[in-house]
Amino acid sequence: MKCSLILAAGLFLLPVGGAAQGISDAQIAAIVVTANQVDIDAGRLAVERSSNDKVKAFAQLMVSDHSGVNKAATELVTRLKVTPQASPTSQALQAGGDKNLAHLKTLKGAAFDKAYVDHEYAYHQQVIDALDQTLIPAAADAELKALLVKVRPAFVAHRDHAKSLQSSRSDER
Amino acid sequence: MRIRPLVTVLVLPIAAILAVPAMGFTVANETRTQVHTVLIEGMRFQPQDLTVAAGDTVVWVNRDLVPHTATSPSGRFDSNEIAPGTTWTHTVRNTGEFGYICTYHPLMKAILRVK
Repeated sequence: MKCSLILAAGLFLLPVGGAAQGISDAQIAAIVVTANQVDIDAGRLAVERSSNDKVKAFAQLMVSDHSGVNKAATELVTRLKVTPQASPTSQALQAGGDKNLAHLKTLKGAAFDKAYVDHEYAYHQQVIDALDQTLIPAAADAELKALLVKVRPAFVAHRDHAKSLQSSRSDER
Repeated sequence: MRIRPLVTVLVLPIAAILAVPAMGFTVANETRTQVHTVLIEGMRFQPQDLTVAAGDTVVWVNRDLVPHTATSPSGRFDSNEIAPGTTWTHTVRNTGEFGYICTYHPLMKAILRVK
């Protein structure tokens, strides 16, 4: 619950629907890079700390996939000569990510795995909502918008993967 | 009358030689294999259900931003990592129905039917 509240504090700062025009492409770029980096950092911690093979493999996948997405995003904004610009949303995402890491570091074993996977499910759902309601509608550059559309299925796949880990954990009880 | 033996000796063997590649070409046509493409895009294999003939070649094209694999859990084929923007080519030899997944994203599933 604590992690979800931290997460919500970041992504709920995003305006929705008609208010989306308030975000610039430079701010969107920073939000995307931060959103990926936050998940990479959590993944690295889980690779190091988890003793569950499935959770560890998932965490490694998060590191790999989000690094790939960030690489593509960075290449695009560099080519477009867009300099990512911090915003209250990207700053809150980073702060939320830091707090999540601090919380996870207090946990061990099954409690760590549960907190990590639960957060991953909620985090990816929140990012999907942000993509649908704010980031994609607000993106002005066609290539940036296309990139956001292209990365969305990866977030969906990760959310569903986290859900399957939650389900398998329930089955093991 | 003297021409006939010449026809027999020279023309018929030449015709026979010419006929060999012609026959070979016909056989090749009958067994011509096809190349099929499976796009990996949007975290899905497209098409998810593909039917090919034994001897055909299948090319998996990764258009996603993340790496994938095309892996038959039964061990019939395994691409290993297909990096973003790259392809993996596999010629199928045995008939059967082979479900396969991406080992990185195990919810990505598809089937290859070889007839």
